[in-house]
Amino acid sequence: MTGVTTAAARYAGTRVPRVEDARLLTGHGTFVDDVVRPGMLHACFVRSPLARARILGVDAAEALAVDGVQAVFTAADLNPDVREQWYTLIGKDVPDTPRPPLAEGEVRFAGDPVAMVVATDRYVAEDAAELVAVDYEPLPPVVDYATAGESGELVHAGYPGNVAGEFPGAPFEEVEPVFAEAPVVVRHTIRQQACGQVPIETRGMIAEWSAPTGELTIWAATQSPHEVRLFCSRLLGLPEQRVRVVMRDTGGGFGQKVIPQREDMCVMLAARKVPGPLKWIEDRRENLQSAGMSRHAHGDVRIALGDDGAILAAALDYVEDVGAYPAPWPVGTSAAVGMFFPGPYRVPKAAWATTSVFSNTCGRTAYRGPWQFESLARELLLDAAAREMGLDPAELRRRNLLRRDELPYTNPCGIPYDGISPLKTFEQALEMLGYEAFRREQERARAEGRYLGVGTCTYVEPTSAAVGLHATEGATIRIEPSGKVNVYVSGGSSGNSIETTVVQLTADALGVDIADVNTVQGDTAVTPFGGGAAGSRSGSMTAGAVAETATVLRDRIAAIAAHRLEASPGDIELDGGRARVRGVPEAGVSLAEIASAAYFQPESLPPGVPAGLEASGRYRPEHPLIYANATHLCTCEVDVVTGAVTLLRYIVSEDCGPMINPNVVEGQIAGGVVQGIGNALCEHLAYDAEGNPVATTFMDYLLPTAAGIPDIEYGHIETPSPGPGGYKGVGEGGAIGAPPAVANAVADALAPFGAEITRLPLTPETVVALARAADGR
Amino acid sequence: MADITVRMRVNGGPRSATVPPRLTLADFLRERCGLTGTHLGCEHGVCGACTVLLDGQAVRACLVFAVQADGAEVTTVEGIASPAGELSPVQEAFRDHHGLQCGFCTPGFVVSVTAFLRDNPDPTDEQIRDGLSGNLCRCTGYQGILKAVRAAARRRQAGRP
Amino acid sequence: MKPPSFEYHLPGGVEEAVGLLAELGEDAKPIAGGQSLVPMLALRLAAPEHLVDLRRLDGLRGVEERDGTVRIGAGTTQAAVQRSAEVARSVPLMARATPLIGHFQIRNRGTVGGSLAHADAAAEYPAVALALDARLEAVSPRGARTIPAGAFFTGLWSTALAEDELLTAVDFPVRRGRSGFAIEEFARRGGDFAIAGAAVAVELDGAGLVRRCGIGLFGLGSTPLRAPAAEAAATGSALTGIDASELGRTALAELDSVPADLHASADHRAHVGAAIVARAWRRAAEEAAHG
Repeated sequence: MTGVTTAAARYAGTRVPRVEDARLLTGHGTFVDDVVRPGMLHACFVRSPLARARILGVDAAEALAVDGVQAVFTAADLNPDVREQWYTLIGKDVPDTPRPPLAEGEVRFAGDPVAMVVATDRYVAEDAAELVAVDYEPLPPVVDYATAGESGELVHAGYPGNVAGEFPGAPFEEVEPVFAEAPVVVRHTIRQQACGQVPIETRGMIAEWSAPTGELTIWAATQSPHEVRLFCSRLLGLPEQRVRVVMRDTGGGFGQKVIPQREDMCVMLAARKVPGPLKWIEDRRENLQSAGMSRHAHGDVRIALGDDGAILAAALDYVEDVGAYPAPWPVGTSAAVGMFFPGPYRVPKAAWATTSVFSNTCGRTAYRGPWQFESLARELLLDAAAREMGLDPAELRRRNLLRRDELPYTNPCGIPYDGISPLKTFEQALEMLGYEAFRREQERARAEGRYLGVGTCTYVEPTSAAVGLHATEGATIRIEPSGKVNVYVSGGSSGNSIETTVVQLTADALGVDIADVNTVQGDTAVTPFGGGAAGSRSGSMTAGAVAETATVLRDRIAAIAAHRLEASPGDIELDGGRARVRGVPEAGVSLAEIASAAYFQPESLPPGVPAGLEASGRYRPEHPLIYANATHLCTCEVDVVTGAVTLLRYIVSEDCGPMINPNVVEGQIAGGVVQGIGNALCEHLAYDAEGNPVATTFMDYLLPTAAGIPDIEYGHIETPSPGPGGYKGVGEGGAIGAPPAVANAVADALAPFGAEITRLPLTPETVVALARAADGR
Repeated sequence: MADITVRMRVNGGPRSATVPPRLTLADFLRERCGLTGTHLGCEHGVCGACTVLLDGQAVRACLVFAVQADGAEVTTVEGIASPAGELSPVQEAFRDHHGLQCGFCTPGFVVSVTAFLRDNPDPTDEQIRDGLSGNLCRCTGYQGILKAVRAAARRRQAGRP
Repeated sequence: MKPPSFEYHLPGGVEEAVGLLAELGEDAKPIAGGQSLVPMLALRLAAPEHLVDLRRLDGLRGVEERDGTVRIGAGTTQAAVQRSAEVARSVPLMARATPLIGHFQIRNRGTVGGSLAHADAAAEYPAVALALDARLEAVSPRGARTIPAGAFFTGLWSTALAEDELLTAVDFPVRRGRSGFAIEEFARRGGDFAIAGAAVAVELDGAGLVRRCGIGLFGLGSTPLRAPAAEAAATGSALTGIDASELGRTALAELDSVPADLHASADHRAHVGAAIVARAWRRAAEEAAHG
């Protein structure tokens, strides 16, 4: 690496308008359902209406007789074609849980795909799906994961006690003496309900098989086109270069679209058996019953404190529902719940264990901050401890939050925090609120019979985890012969503005105008391999990839320019689309001239400089994780008669390092926060006692609307990470901080009633019950 | 079931097709007119992603059958910007205030807000929130959208187009 | 999530429409705005073989005030009701109920007649019709008849309308004297069906005593309901002598089967319902007392 630099960054750190917007605002985006292929056929799944039953037979005769129906596939048709089935994301060598494309022998949740109807249009496919007669022998379902261990029934044979896996973590014995002797011990069982990711675009895929060339082309709603390609090539036994995956616009993912699921497998497997391209667009009911459950868990959580409020130890025994068919294997991921449970606090000792339990419900899938139970449990417990000790919860936290001068700090679970600022974000959030003034207002309101509350959550979050699928990220930059720039990265944007980010970073890295940079993403045929949009990694990893690649080109540009300008390459700087001699601004040569020379007059290049202006680079982080942190603070008023919770103010003070684009950062925070508010107050992917899903429409699965949420206020603290540009991930945190902040605010409002909140969601009914129980009404 | 011929004006141009009665207006626009900007997010009238103007009024295109729109004037999101691609004031405001992320719900918001501000040129914040509450967004937390609508309303009041 | 097939009919007048309904029988459903019916079709909860589209029945649209009555055509959209100065002036309860229905995009299509005939127990208009003693006009091949709102809602999603009968208009009494009106509801989110709601109409006599009290409840039974005991308790009393909370409890004490679902148990609905009746009463009484 040489010292060739660009002038000061013009775009990073600014609110650059998004390059994605022009097409999306005018209805010219390309989402998977917008793709139409000649002769395209449409799939519809026949799904189990029962939580658990033996499949005695499937009779498709009547469905096949419907005009326009091409095929009806069952497990016997598709499942035997599976060659290898595993996710690059998790790796091959884990004790993965079962995942058949179509249900084989037994259905294991209401919504389990049993057969796939292929017809000339979706209307006809749905008609025919109603006519597929499946003979079920009902079996007793295991609906409640929390009691699944005692159930005599098994979701999957071979998993005694319905345990999908356990992660032993750090042994409880080691903390028992601390708990035994601590002046204060607070212990609760905290429960979180099942929620869905609920992107407004459902899942979908088109698979087009070309028998003559042996090529399969897939258009997918995905966060990771390269994972789809790798998975598909293994599934079908096709060479990777014979599979092409294309995505342009994906309508939200939030984890649901990080990996292909069972229905996607069916589309891939069926593609070679039907006479045309096969499209499957999931409908909303399918999405809510089958696309993935998350969050559903409980934990027996304890903290021990000294008389001065210092935390002495923390312990978490965590049990999560993984449904019938989790994807991917959930056990490894659950470890993060334990390892981050101590959070950004000074916790000398901790113990934890996790257990993943099957049930006859929708499978667990990744959702924005999949480990967020650690924050929910810890922050609820800290407020409970403050109430018990008669301390202000802010004061209790101040005494325990890590200070800058204590870093680096390795938490008791072995996580080496650095580059974080938890106490600073906490103080900033309190100051933005005017915490003391709020407490006075709260006092006055209580005197009038109005119940106000304030709650916070401070967390530290792992971002940009560089392992396996996500270990590296590549970029190819082509400065075209005209001097204009194309930058190719793997993509997988489902709303994270990664096109804009890449264009900003590339324009800065090459010192060119942003309008001269275009980015190509999401097509495995032309983009470098990359892990996609997941794990709050896109910003940091792509910044690394662009920097790595741009360095090569900058050096080349400098060499060519220096040769032409008779200067030393080390004196060349790039700015405004020109290479010039530092300190001699009038001596310069345009990028267009350099490109022209590089492509058309290779003989004019200095010795040893390759022709062309195109480079590929791959970023390999030195740090396996980058830590980000934030404090969320929320105030609310609770109507103790109806149970309505009105959020008054919502403040986020976060530290994601320098911001590449503050609009994007704040947009990610806001989106996560409102999902978290929904998780706290209204969303519930609920089942009845028989295992029937009861929230399968948007009339029952309640997403927050613009009418029910406050304006979000942002505070920024900037502690650079050790990664490229000092950037950190920011995609998931919003969804982590909001549920505890909201729950603590409600608990604070209800403190006069002696209420303790240990269970989400805080429906109006729950809130009224909390107030009434203590009130004796 | 007998197919029926429908004729309507879509984004100013005549369109006719023979359709099964059960074809929704949303599918008619997407499949028969190639106007894929009208998105389907729930198909039961809650999410608002399929909102179009039907004779000038914002409606859920998933809750109208194409045959019911026979003879009507339909404006989709593709008809909001100028033919040359110049964004409307509402679209500009969404761009300027980060009013969209994945963009899937965006066409429904753009169409709804266009009708809302036409009918409520000087909305209070509560009216804006109420006006937006029939469209679901999962990416933005509505923050950028609220800012965009406030800005577009201010711009209307300032007399700029 | 695509609707099942159906045959489409587009009658040009009421007579033709009811003729079709008579001829097609139970396999036919009339469709007006379709804002309740089309979701049911999309979810395949209903699969009528014939849909009779009422959109060409222009005579069913409009608001007309005559002889102390405001007649709202069944085909009038909720948006048109919201815009109507006559409704705002003469039937304020309808005007106040309308913005609570769904969202503005829904109200642009949804009709007064559709909402009443769909008879959702958690919807606003049926409760308003009850509270105001509205009179519903229905036409069949046998002619026209008037059905008092109190006799219209017969069960879960069912009404007094015969298969071949079409709701054509609703008559509301014009407000008079010292009167007050309020509608209150509690829903999980704005625009959702109410967990509990109440529409209250109160009218005072010259002496300031309650001459008439109408309370329509929604979300609290298998049909929209009146609260006769509460109404009786209020009638004849001075406003100052009526305890709103007590009135709310009286209204809810009359109910025998309050529904339960994902969003609220029966107990919670009843608890909130009593509070909502009280809140609506307070606002209506306030208006009656002070104008």
